[in-house]
Amino acid sequence: MANERLRALEDVEKEIAMVLQCAGTIVLELSKDKHNASLLERQLVQFQTSVNRVESELSSQIRYLTQVATGQPHEGSTYSARKDCQMALNRAEYAKVKLGELGRTCELMLEQQQPQPQT
Amino acid sequence: MATQRVLPQSKETLLQNYNKRLKDDIRSILDNFTEIIKTAKIEDETQVSRATQAEQDHYEMHVRAANIVRAGESLMKLVSDLKQFLILNDFPSVNDAISLQNQQLRSLQEECDKKLTSLRDEIAIDLYELEEEYYSSSYSQWDSTDLPLCEAYRRRDSWASPGSSCSSTQGDREDVEGPPSQEANPQHHVNGHGTSSIEKP
Repeated sequence: MANERLRALEDVEKEIAMVLQCAGTIVLELSKDKHNASLLERQLVQFQTSVNRVESELSSQIRYLTQVATGQPHEGSTYSARKDCQMALNRAEYAKVKLGELGRTCELMLEQQQPQPQT
Repeated sequence: MATQRVLPQSKETLLQNYNKRLKDDIRSILDNFTEIIKTAKIEDETQVSRATQAEQDHYEMHVRAANIVRAGESLMKLVSDLKQFLILNDFPSVNDAISLQNQQLRSLQEECDKKLTSLRDEIAIDLYELEEEYYSSSYSQWDSTDLPLCEAYRRRDSWASPGSSCSSTQGDREDVEGPPSQEANPQHHVNGHGTSSIEKP
């Protein structure tokens, strides 16, 4: 849920850039001797759409924050679960180390028991 | 109709400030852009000479374009502030993120422990066989105080059968010599020593 709202705000940033780009394109086209009417029309529609979208999206985000903000700091954390998981991974790692040592010991014993080749 | 939330003064002021900034910046962009388009129109009659009028229009367009860019940057700053406010104060999403993370960490921990438990069970079975092989060979050097796993299981099975003659369940520290030492166990309890270790005669 939080990621969707943050992504919506990132889209708003792209829309703001689009607003400025459309305004610049329109002014650039008007500076020419011969104007391309269709291009001007398209850019103007895009400009108005982007401005309206920016305003509506930011207004809705501010309205949502007015409803959910409490003014208190959030005191939740994932520390205990993370610590338990870390301990479980440490247990697994320790078991792996001990089994490795056991395996090496067995291999060493087997090598010692094998008869030495006579030269 | 939604009930009015009572927010702390600072939060409410902050959100009102955000609203004001949004309205002002959007108004600035629209007004300045409209004025640029109006200024672009060439008029036949001017109060000053054409060159002066052109110079004035040029300067005005520069300023208004700069105002549009400033308003756009102010909107970007507003979006950044809203993102920060959202991350810190959007409690429903923060709670969801915390619970999801806790759930993932706990499932990982349970899976890890389950695999370790199954590994332990498998190794216990292999260890039983290895000990049986080792302690029945001529290389073993165990003493009576250290009961191997296979011997412990064997004794437990023999005690569980009805034809067994054992009377005590001292367990790990019992002597292996046989009935005389087993009969000594009740004496130790009767005398009230209450020790778990048994002295060899």
